Amino acid sequence: MSTSTDVQDAAVEPTGAGHTSAGGSGAEPVFAVDGLWKVFGPKADRVPADPELAALSPAELRSRTGCTAAVRDVSFDVRKGEVFVVMGLSGSGKSTLVRCLTRLIEPTAGSIVIDGEDVRAMDKARLRELRRHRAAMVFQHFGLLPHRTVLDNVAYGLEVQGVGRRERRERAQEVVTKVGLEGMEHRRPGQLSGGQQQRVGLARALAVDPEVLLFDEPFSALDPLIRRDMQEEVVRLHHEEGRTMVFITHDLNEALRLGDRIALMRDGRVVQLGTPEEIVGSPADDYVREFVRDVPREQVMTVRRAMRAASAQEAGEGPALAPQATVSEAIEAVARTGQTARVVDRGRCLGVVDSDALLGVVAGTGGQFADEAAGSDTDAATGSESGAGSAESAPDQGDGTASSAREGVA
Amino acid sequence: MATITATAPRSGLPGFLKHPATGKLLLLAVAAAVLVPLANARWASGSWPHALTVDLTEPLGKASDWVIDNRDSHPLFLYFFGYVSNAVVLSVRAVYLVLLAAGWAGVTAAAALVAWRVAGVRLALGTGAAFLACGLLGMWIPTMQTLALMVVAVLASVVIGVLLGLAAGLSDRTYRALRPVLDTMQVFPAYAYLLPVVLVFGMGVPAAVLATVVYAAPPMARLTALGLRGADAGVMEAVESLGTTARQRLLTARIPLARKELLLGLNQTIMMALSMAVIASVIGAAGLGDRVYQALASVDVGAALAAGIPIVLLAVVLDRVTGAAGTVDDELGGDTGSRWTGWAYAAVVAVAVAVAGRLTDRLDWPEAWLVNIAEPVNRAVDWMTDHLYSGVPYVGGTADWAGHFTTWVLDPMRDGLQWLPWWSALLIVAALAWLIGTWRTALTAVLAMAAIGVLGVWGPSLDTLSQVLAAVAVTLVLGFATGIAAARSERCERVLRPFLDVFQTMPQFVYLIPVVALFGVGRAPAVAAAVVYALPAVVRITTQGLRQVDPAAMESSRSMGATGWQQLRQVQLPLARPALLLALNQGVVLVLAVVIIGGLVGGGALGYDVVFGLAQGDLATGLVAGAAIVCLGLMLDRVTQPTDRRTKKGA
Repeated sequence: MSTSTDVQDAAVEPTGAGHTSAGGSGAEPVFAVDGLWKVFGPKADRVPADPELAALSPAELRSRTGCTAAVRDVSFDVRKGEVFVVMGLSGSGKSTLVRCLTRLIEPTAGSIVIDGEDVRAMDKARLRELRRHRAAMVFQHFGLLPHRTVLDNVAYGLEVQGVGRRERRERAQEVVTKVGLEGMEHRRPGQLSGGQQQRVGLARALAVDPEVLLFDEPFSALDPLIRRDMQEEVVRLHHEEGRTMVFITHDLNEALRLGDRIALMRDGRVVQLGTPEEIVGSPADDYVREFVRDVPREQVMTVRRAMRAASAQEAGEGPALAPQATVSEAIEAVARTGQTARVVDRGRCLGVVDSDALLGVVAGTGGQFADEAAGSDTDAATGSESGAGSAESAPDQGDGTASSAREGVA
Repeated sequence: MATITATAPRSGLPGFLKHPATGKLLLLAVAAAVLVPLANARWASGSWPHALTVDLTEPLGKASDWVIDNRDSHPLFLYFFGYVSNAVVLSVRAVYLVLLAAGWAGVTAAAALVAWRVAGVRLALGTGAAFLACGLLGMWIPTMQTLALMVVAVLASVVIGVLLGLAAGLSDRTYRALRPVLDTMQVFPAYAYLLPVVLVFGMGVPAAVLATVVYAAPPMARLTALGLRGADAGVMEAVESLGTTARQRLLTARIPLARKELLLGLNQTIMMALSMAVIASVIGAAGLGDRVYQALASVDVGAALAAGIPIVLLAVVLDRVTGAAGTVDDELGGDTGSRWTGWAYAAVVAVAVAVAGRLTDRLDWPEAWLVNIAEPVNRAVDWMTDHLYSGVPYVGGTADWAGHFTTWVLDPMRDGLQWLPWWSALLIVAALAWLIGTWRTALTAVLAMAAIGVLGVWGPSLDTLSQVLAAVAVTLVLGFATGIAAARSERCERVLRPFLDVFQTMPQFVYLIPVVALFGVGRAPAVAAAVVYALPAVVRITTQGLRQVDPAAMESSRSMGATGWQQLRQVQLPLARPALLLALNQGVVLVLAVVIIGGLVGGGALGYDVVFGLAQGDLATGLVAGAAIVCLGLMLDRVTQPTDRRTKKGA
């Protein structure tokens, strides 16, 4: 848990530059994306190559060249064991981006590296290998084969790999059980509800035991209640297996619930990359600010943001909270006891929160230091480790997930 | 008109002038004003000028003679067509012998069991009954002949169709090249395919099979391509994301996803093959069609009916069984194991029945079980001739109706069309095609019409056209009225549906039998057969079109207090316009097909020329008539082709 202390230092007295994103986490990236472009249209190659064209706004680019840049100069790392969320409104290029990762859509420029191997340099056979074993995808509209049973759909990825009938069915059966579809093995996708179909899609991706799971707006087509179920399912799976996930969504709440880190996209660019807490607490620009305006901040922000140094007296009494506790939990504790609450990590008091500070967070006026800190994205990187805890603002299971991920990292 | 537009301020143009149709018509009028006096001065009006015709009879006659002279010596025939022809003869013969060897009991059992496996018990019983009926009517041997020809033709059509469909389904370029060809081939009447085949292969089984293949393969190819291209992009992407090879994608995803279209293609191919196998009797295919053909030639309605009933039964059985193949299997879902054992049982039972039939020496249909319906039917027809043809008080007789229809409708229409100056016929075609479709369709239509004139069959073609127009008019009036009624009343539709189902599956040929019984021979019966044949499709498309009108639009008009009539006129009909145009288009195409076949029952004109050419061995006349039929079909299709179909092609 050294990272937490690290973070705490960073939060209390911003350390400025010095951490690179990889250095901050101490884990090698699964995916390293650098300067990625995807341009649709005639002679797309010239757009990323020409700095003048690359700087144009989408509308200008279209009128000048007839091209549409879906992904513009995007760089990020996905670390082992984390849930990396790419979020943006429709047309922001997020779905194109995730398809570029396994070259379902051929990128125009930039580099994609998976475990040190250049994806763009792969030949067809190698690329198939990547898709078969290392990255599996879950789609918004499921993409199930209607003529196959649930079991055969789940086993399809293994069938493609050439796994024998008996073995693939056994393995598929295990996964079917894991996603909670026992008893439906012999149904056809057409006989299932949307949520169940997406469980099949999830099981199909899990059955090949991939290193990375890619989700392309998997729950957008589902009813709100079922969506919540499925989100919890993903949280549970992540908790159990610690698998790396790249998750595309247009739903901010979903991004905040699931993401260890979030890349917020607009018009093909990443406008902010950070933990949910950073995105909500320190929006990079007006667009992001507008975006997160209605988020219930008390459920996203952690007490660390509202914390101030404790006086000697305060450090000794009052309810104790973990540093990754959300502000709403702190409010509850403060309101119940009428005292300031201590933020305690392994018996050490990091600071205290009082009702003024908590109210300030809720109102969006508090946490000035956070705004200062927002300038340096190093904190975005480091902060992610601890911020992750609060990201799953649902207090029931979010913390467990994040900490397990963190253990995997450390 | 020009002065009005010139003086009036732009914004003040009367509404009708701003309508795009007006623009098109004005442009045409200007073109006509320039061209018509020129043409008139040079070639005179009236019928198509002789100076503009090209006499193809002689070169075609020569070509036909050359083919006949060289059929046994030229390498092209020896090493290509000869082999094709032999292969066809041998395979048809082989299938025929197998069917005979299985005996009537074996064939009936096998057919019923296949139907049971594919479509369930009810259709199995129906299939068995249908085959037994064929035997009872004394038509077992012709039925087997037709079936043997069909089996070979369907297999060949499916193979060719699937290969073409795969090529077009997987390659955009092939698709773009193939699609217009296939679309156009569907428009041509079956008759148009007969002569070129006869030219190469002569009369006989090979020609019949090949004509059938040419006629029946396009739907398979079209639907295969359509199915493969229509695969859900999301599924295909998901499949690709799992690291499939191109082959795996095709075999495990694309083809299974296209299953419905493939089965529909099979269904259509079988139905068209049956239809053509029957028609091909005029070029020497033995079997049921031949019996009908011979009987019609001697106006022996009883014998024609005895052969016609098995055709209808075959058609209905084949359609239902292949149609059910798609749906039943989906519901059963389940396990492949039990499915195979089911088939195994079926095979064992069929073989057992066949062997039992053989051992008891009952291969041929027993004489004692024959039911002769020809005589009673002919007696009934004689009675009708005596009592219903004419002189029925007040309503007149059927022959009177036919006569009146000929005198008061067909004759004036034919004379009117033939009286029209040739250039005005072209202009009318151009105007209609352009108003309904695009300038492209208009151009094709005009060129096709002109080609008819150039071929030197302007007169007979206009005769055929007059029959087509009369039949289409009747069909549309009846079809739209019935369609509207069916769309507005569930009960009406329920009553109609079984009739439509059966009528839509019957081969064109059999429609001639009842009309000959009712109206005798002549042009009016041909028109009547065409109307009956085209009516179901028109009714069905109309009903569907009206039913599919956005319920929200209907509801909102109802909420504003529109009466039923207002709803129909102001909401349903305008919104269903594409469907109505499609109904018109289909009606025209179907009517043409039967009007041509009507040449067999005294329809005269182009259809008669084809039959005459075949019968007399005068292929040149037949081929010219065939080409004119193709042009006429093309023209009629393009004239009635809605813009929608064109634009859809891009998508």
